[in-house]
Amino acid sequence: MPEVKTSQFTKASATAMLDPQLRRALDRVGSGFDVARRNAIEEVSWEAWEEWRDEARRIKIHTLDHLDYYLEMLHDNVTAAGGQVHFAADAAEANAIVSHLAQSRGVKVATKSKSMVSEELELNPVLESIGVDVYETDLGEYIIQLAGETPSHLVAPALHKSKEDVAELFANKLGVAYDEDIVRMAATARQVLRDKFMQADLGISGANFVVAETGTLVIVTNEGNGRLCTSAPRIHIGITGMEKVIPSMQDLAIFLRLLPRSATGQRISSYVSMITGPRREDDEDGPEEFHLVLVDNGRSRMLRDPKLREALYCIRCGACLNICPVYARVGGHAYGWVYPGPIGAVVSPMLTGLKESKMLPQASSLCGACREACPIKINIPRMLLELRHRTAESDDSKERASSRSERFLARAFSRLMSNPGRLAFATRMGRMAQRLIPGMSRRGGWIRRAPLPLFSRWTRARDLPQLPAKSFRDIWRDELGNEKGDGGNSGRR
Amino acid sequence: METVAAANPGSMPGRSKAEFLRSVRNALGREEGPPEQHYHRLEEDLPLLESRAAELEARLQANRPQLLDRLADMAGKGGWNVHRVSGAEAAIGQVDSIVADLGATRVARSGQPVFEDVPVDAALQLRGIDVVPVVRGASATREELRERMRHADVGLTGTDYALAETGSLVILPRQGLSRLVSLVPPVHVALVRPEEVLESLHDLFLLRRLEFKQRGGEMGSYLNFITGPSRTADIEMTIVQGVHGPRAVHMIIVE
Repeated sequence: MPEVKTSQFTKASATAMLDPQLRRALDRVGSGFDVARRNAIEEVSWEAWEEWRDEARRIKIHTLDHLDYYLEMLHDNVTAAGGQVHFAADAAEANAIVSHLAQSRGVKVATKSKSMVSEELELNPVLESIGVDVYETDLGEYIIQLAGETPSHLVAPALHKSKEDVAELFANKLGVAYDEDIVRMAATARQVLRDKFMQADLGISGANFVVAETGTLVIVTNEGNGRLCTSAPRIHIGITGMEKVIPSMQDLAIFLRLLPRSATGQRISSYVSMITGPRREDDEDGPEEFHLVLVDNGRSRMLRDPKLREALYCIRCGACLNICPVYARVGGHAYGWVYPGPIGAVVSPMLTGLKESKMLPQASSLCGACREACPIKINIPRMLLELRHRTAESDDSKERASSRSERFLARAFSRLMSNPGRLAFATRMGRMAQRLIPGMSRRGGWIRRAPLPLFSRWTRARDLPQLPAKSFRDIWRDELGNEKGDGGNSGRR
Repeated sequence: METVAAANPGSMPGRSKAEFLRSVRNALGREEGPPEQHYHRLEEDLPLLESRAAELEARLQANRPQLLDRLADMAGKGGWNVHRVSGAEAAIGQVDSIVADLGATRVARSGQPVFEDVPVDAALQLRGIDVVPVVRGASATREELRERMRHADVGLTGTDYALAETGSLVILPRQGLSRLVSLVPPVHVALVRPEEVLESLHDLFLLRRLEFKQRGGEMGSYLNFITGPSRTADIEMTIVQGVHGPRAVHMIIVE
């Protein structure tokens, strides 16, 4: 698995926020993807959209609840179509399966279309170590492969790169003249990769969906690299997380409506390729062998956990990233592992362990925008709260996200709030402190920095609301208390 | 769980199916399984799908003019250059004019039956254009065909279905249809006939599932949707057409 850097979230996010180039790139995400998504939904109406979301969610709930049943059906139908299914419990096994296939079939060159699972497995270096030249062919993935980096967005992996970065990269790595014209750079990639497609013995793809009923692998792309990877080489290996199975081909009608609109605001992507087994006798072309590698790699841990199981419903559209106020400020790399953004903040702790990734669930304002944007209505805020709860209550100090002083403050707050006398006393003290201590009173009702022990650390990354001159309890007593009986409900003042 | 024969270099690494499914079942909190599942779509049998397909056919026939309008509209929005012509002669003229405007000299054409009704070769050859039918046979190996496609300026195909909902073409494996004709040349020109037009994704999948059942569980090796040109927005979210597939696509609706 790729290096897990989720523990460095706090530091990495602080650095990312000061990067002006990243700022510009992230501004484009909000104004580009999310506006396009809303427009695409408006075209079909929000009512229709809600129905589609509900249906997709029902399908996912049913499938994941009976995952063993549908995996077996998938296995049988892929096999009946002439393909082979392989099962990998973890990254090492998945990589060993692909390496074994490559080696035993004398593969020298492999082309890959975009696969987040293969990023999770860190497959490329393993194949390179056995002498296979691997080429990413999605333009964004190709750019980050040349740069030796990792994707920063589920849909637009090289989002963080400026055109100047790419021009310099192409000049250095491909030996072409420095040219920052985007159309010409795409043409350069087309030319270089066209040769690789034709040379490749092996095409590797991910899968957006796999259909149990027919044994069909479905990939959704815009560039056409997915089609080339799965048609030109003599062997095709599809690698996917086991949660991607859906029961019937008819279910695809809903998912193919939801995914492109949620990801890029398209009615459908330029290409959707559905592959069922290898080339048949009469076909003009296509691979001679088809292999499907189904990967667990921590997913059964999520399946086992009723409170977090729904994270497996994710179709990796990226809509929750595009709308998230935290992602919009820190970008994908700060999250420190393959899956960024709100869904990444749930998936990474589950796949890499809570110890490593305990800061990620804290990286949310819990505003709920991710849940609203999710085409499967995944309740991400609820799961983030659940993970926060676990990081707070864990018996293992390494899983706890809070510092000793935070826990002290939380305990003190809880005692304060459970006793009216203590609360009234503390409120009086607080008001006095606000008046007397310079720096405590601020316009706009917020305390940006509290120069008090404990509070100063807490306000380093947060603002505290100022105590008002009159508390709700005061108002109740002085103005509303004599209207007891109907005053509470009438809304009169 | 122990890896199946990982130490043995001759055999495939990974889990056995039984072992993998057992761990999934275990995560679901079940000992036994898999239980028989009731899922409405999977319980649809051949007679039911046949009667639905008959209803679909009637619906399509009744609405054909509106469907063609919708297809043309959605295909245009999806990035196709849409041309509506009536009759084979006009279709040939349209192909010819697209090829001429491009200044193309080499055309790769699929061997689909539509070109028996719309015989474009002669008209193109008359103007000195090299038309290569991409059909495997005694005269050409797969490698030779591939080379020809690589050097073609235009790829010319028919379609199996056209979807009004999304403005997509759908191609299936047929003898005489390489997957690469619509993908490798820089321009793709496709002919669509009215009887190939479906309304929605639901219609398409109904017909595919019907065929799957009729053929005793054979789906065919692929099904490709094509909607507009090849596109990328991976550099600064600027849309560029023609990154791996064609930069321009033409849909000729032959009424």
